[in-house]
Amino acid sequence: MRTSARAAAAIVAAAAVVLLAACSGSSAASTGASKKATTVGFIMVGSTDDAGYNEAVEDGAKAVEKDLGTSVKVITADNIPENDSVTQTMQAMANQGAKIIFATSYGYYKYALEFAKAHPDITVLHQGGFLDGTFPKNFGTYWGEAYDPVGLGGMAAGAVTKSDKLGFIYAFPIAQSIANIDAFELGAQKVNPNAQTYVVNTSNWCDPLKQKQAVTALLNQGVDVFSQHQDCQSTVIQAVKSAGKKIVGYHYDAKSLDPDGWLTGSAWKWAPVYEAIIKSVEGGTFTGSKYNANWTGTFADGNNPLQLASFGSSVPADVQSKILAEKDALSKPGSSIFEGPIYCQDGTVLVPAGKTATYADTNSFSCLVKGVVGTLPKS
Amino acid sequence: MSEQLPQVVTPVAAQPRLRMPAWLSWRRLAIVVGAYLACVVVFAAFAAWQGADPGTLLPAMLQSTVLNPTALTQTLLRAVPIGFAALAAVVPARAGLVNVGAEGQLIMGAVAATGVGLAVGTHVPGPLALIATVAAGGVAGAVWAGISAVFRIWFRAAESVTSLLLNFVASDVMLFLIYEPWKDPAGSGQPQSRPLPGDVRLGDLTSTGLNASVIVLALAAVGVWLLLRRTGWGFALRVIGGNPEAARRSALPSWSLLLSAMLVGGLLAGLGGALNLIGVEGQLRPGITTTFGYVGFLAAFLGRNDAIRATLAALLFAAIALSGNGLQLVAGLDGNIVNVLLGSIVLTMLLVGRTQGERL
Amino acid sequence: MNIVGETLATAIPGSVALLYPSLGELISERTGVTNLGTEGSMLSGALAGIAVTLATGNPVLGVLAAAVAGAACAAVHALAVVLRGANQLASGLVIWFLALGVTSVLGSPLNGKIVDPLPALRIPVLASIPGIGPALFDQNALVYAAYLLAPAIWLFLTYTRTGLALRATGERPAVVFAGGHNPTALRFSATTVGGALAGLGGAQLALGIVGNWANGMTNGYGFVAVAVVIFARWTPLGVVAGSYLFGVALALASVIQANGIGVNQYLLDSLPYAVTIIVLVLVSRFGRSNAPESQRDALSETV
Repeated sequence: MRTSARAAAAIVAAAAVVLLAACSGSSAASTGASKKATTVGFIMVGSTDDAGYNEAVEDGAKAVEKDLGTSVKVITADNIPENDSVTQTMQAMANQGAKIIFATSYGYYKYALEFAKAHPDITVLHQGGFLDGTFPKNFGTYWGEAYDPVGLGGMAAGAVTKSDKLGFIYAFPIAQSIANIDAFELGAQKVNPNAQTYVVNTSNWCDPLKQKQAVTALLNQGVDVFSQHQDCQSTVIQAVKSAGKKIVGYHYDAKSLDPDGWLTGSAWKWAPVYEAIIKSVEGGTFTGSKYNANWTGTFADGNNPLQLASFGSSVPADVQSKILAEKDALSKPGSSIFEGPIYCQDGTVLVPAGKTATYADTNSFSCLVKGVVGTLPKS
Repeated sequence: MSEQLPQVVTPVAAQPRLRMPAWLSWRRLAIVVGAYLACVVVFAAFAAWQGADPGTLLPAMLQSTVLNPTALTQTLLRAVPIGFAALAAVVPARAGLVNVGAEGQLIMGAVAATGVGLAVGTHVPGPLALIATVAAGGVAGAVWAGISAVFRIWFRAAESVTSLLLNFVASDVMLFLIYEPWKDPAGSGQPQSRPLPGDVRLGDLTSTGLNASVIVLALAAVGVWLLLRRTGWGFALRVIGGNPEAARRSALPSWSLLLSAMLVGGLLAGLGGALNLIGVEGQLRPGITTTFGYVGFLAAFLGRNDAIRATLAALLFAAIALSGNGLQLVAGLDGNIVNVLLGSIVLTMLLVGRTQGERL
Repeated sequence: MNIVGETLATAIPGSVALLYPSLGELISERTGVTNLGTEGSMLSGALAGIAVTLATGNPVLGVLAAAVAGAACAAVHALAVVLRGANQLASGLVIWFLALGVTSVLGSPLNGKIVDPLPALRIPVLASIPGIGPALFDQNALVYAAYLLAPAIWLFLTYTRTGLALRATGERPAVVFAGGHNPTALRFSATTVGGALAGLGGAQLALGIVGNWANGMTNGYGFVAVAVVIFARWTPLGVVAGSYLFGVALALASVIQANGIGVNQYLLDSLPYAVTIIVLVLVSRFGRSNAPESQRDALSETV
């Protein structure tokens, strides 16, 4: 016991030293931007250099810093898990004087909403969530009609495939992933009625080994064009490149990783959305505006933050023009890749004839469309 | 395999080591202090190499952990699951058992609390529902730990290994439930259970959001301390953990002691999972525990399996986890640097602290 | 390709990524040192492998760096456990946390960069065996090395004096000491070599299979390796069987789904862990255990 008491004393002594050091340092610590600048926080779930979802957010945050100059001070936090940790990060940002916080991961949704309710003076935005109900005055969600550009990518895949077999690798059966798989297959069918999409899940948003195994397994089925909904996309691109097959990207324009195999894809361009939202908050017009709701950028309003990525060299010119024409068609108000009639695998109607699914509808999608091979995880 | 009970008295690397004479103890103290200082310096150097101004590190860390009331509240709340996970290791350790399964027991506690909370929340009067919810968490944690205990006692399978492996199984059980049968139909596709009704949530005690779970943790820490140090059961556990042979000769009922130690450990972790759920999270989601159980095990180690010290160590680790916010927002470091900090503190302890050869 | 060949082709690279750390853990555990830090050694190996390959353009150097990084992590573990007599499980977990933090901080700029994975070297005649040929004999050099490594380790442990001393270290250190060997040195080097092998497992993952780095990319495979050793009852050939079995279990989810069959992904994911527990329980109860004697203590040491 005596030794342990000494060890305890040692720890206390060490702590005292640490505290002393802290006190001596703290006077110099409170630096910051000029008082007029609005502090804006961005919270990311993964690493800022993932050539995927999080890097797109980081790029957007950097653009905000550059475009809005001294009127904003941008602070960012990455690798924040999807549990109460994100509340604590938002609180820490609030303590730093943040007036606007962008919580950019799907799983942050409830925490962001609760935090907004508890902090009426801070505007909180959630990327990708969907609130079915009344919005607090200082809360908004924003996203893009992701499935439309994904559908365009599906067209490229359907046009280029030689085996009529496409592969789609996803992580978990969330509504967004289901909508993307469906859109990909529907897009492919537009140019190739025989195209089928084989689906494989990985149970993880970024597990390179499982991604590679998914690619290998799909290759064995004769799949020759791949796409994915994962947070990190390098592994799949690399695997497809090694096999000499084609890839449609998601989240980020990664054409440079495989210029020959890259068909096209969709890439987030968040800066205009972020800047518009920040300006509306600064101008005092946020509450009651379109951003104080489930805002969805669409091709039709020209604001879809998910844009069609650049075309790779293996997409023939006529295919490119077909895709661009379809993009124009999708840009007409009220149009969407989910234009009925659309049938689930089992023949039930997903979208009735004459109807077009809205963004809200897609958030409750739970079936894969006809032409998709494979099923969602079975209980 | 002739031994029925763990041979904890024989350390694996039982090399003859010099016993420190009493007059040398100040030298020992200097070594310990020096090592921790070196640890701080090394960390600061690492951070500086990563582009942070070392002078901003500590203020940044303290600001996001203790220096303002909301941050302090968050540190205390974060200490709840970690602290209970630590206690979950402390009790079995008394009987010579190693519970590396707090992670899974936290998860199962949260899972059971969700199930019961959703089932009874609106049908049963508030306090009763709350008690049922928390109790369900404790029972589930105990059952999950009990599996390892049963395997240990009647099948002689190392409980450290089975409890570790059960963590992964627990995580898959939870994921299955929230992606499939328990998925909130009104959750806009989010993988999560329905939110728990207000009756089974812990209310805020202060304007900064402190709730009763912190008090429960403090009581549990003291309770476990008393249980282990001041009761016959605690004494019997110690006898069996310290010297199985003596225990056998004194005819202590070894299997029931081992089983009860593990069950109490699991119960504590399950409570931690349930309290974190009803105090902080409010509904079951995929990421609710993320390594809290493992951090708790390290806290028990840093606290030398003493209930009070382990809980304080949990508080320290909670503060370290939260200091990541300050380190990122103010000092501009990568969020995962907190793992470096946590690791280096425990590693310092491992390298210079008293080792198992010198027992309490 | 038939479904067996298909599953094998998908599974073997991943199995080998498990085989290296499992063999490393086996050697280490044979001397009485359990290393939960295997996960950390794998992570460090993966990052070092990619970083050095990117910097030098030479994957051979990358593989070497991976082994060194893995060994370095394990050496820290050995320092704490073997020389300081510290708690093995705590030390292992700490190595994991440290590696998780350090690799994430240092590896951040490398996320999203790719290198060419190690090339597949087709072995002329063998690769033409119908069914299993392409799966087994059209792989990279690390896979072939793994084919040879397991029997080599078995021969080493069974028939050499050092191997015998190594095994005896886990059973009766005093006897080893009396026999003229230094059990402390044996433990230290076995743990470090084990870490080097775990680092190679990381290299197989990052360089051999996928060709890129991602934060936390080992996703618990180091813990699977620890499970494999127990599953294998501490025998090298059992480790081979366990690694391939678990590798197949991992790949199965993809293969089944690619064939258009729905699976319960959560059930499949938990299978390796559940199966290991069952095997451990049955073996402990009914089998003659090969567990090194000190291993039994090591796994139940408290503080």
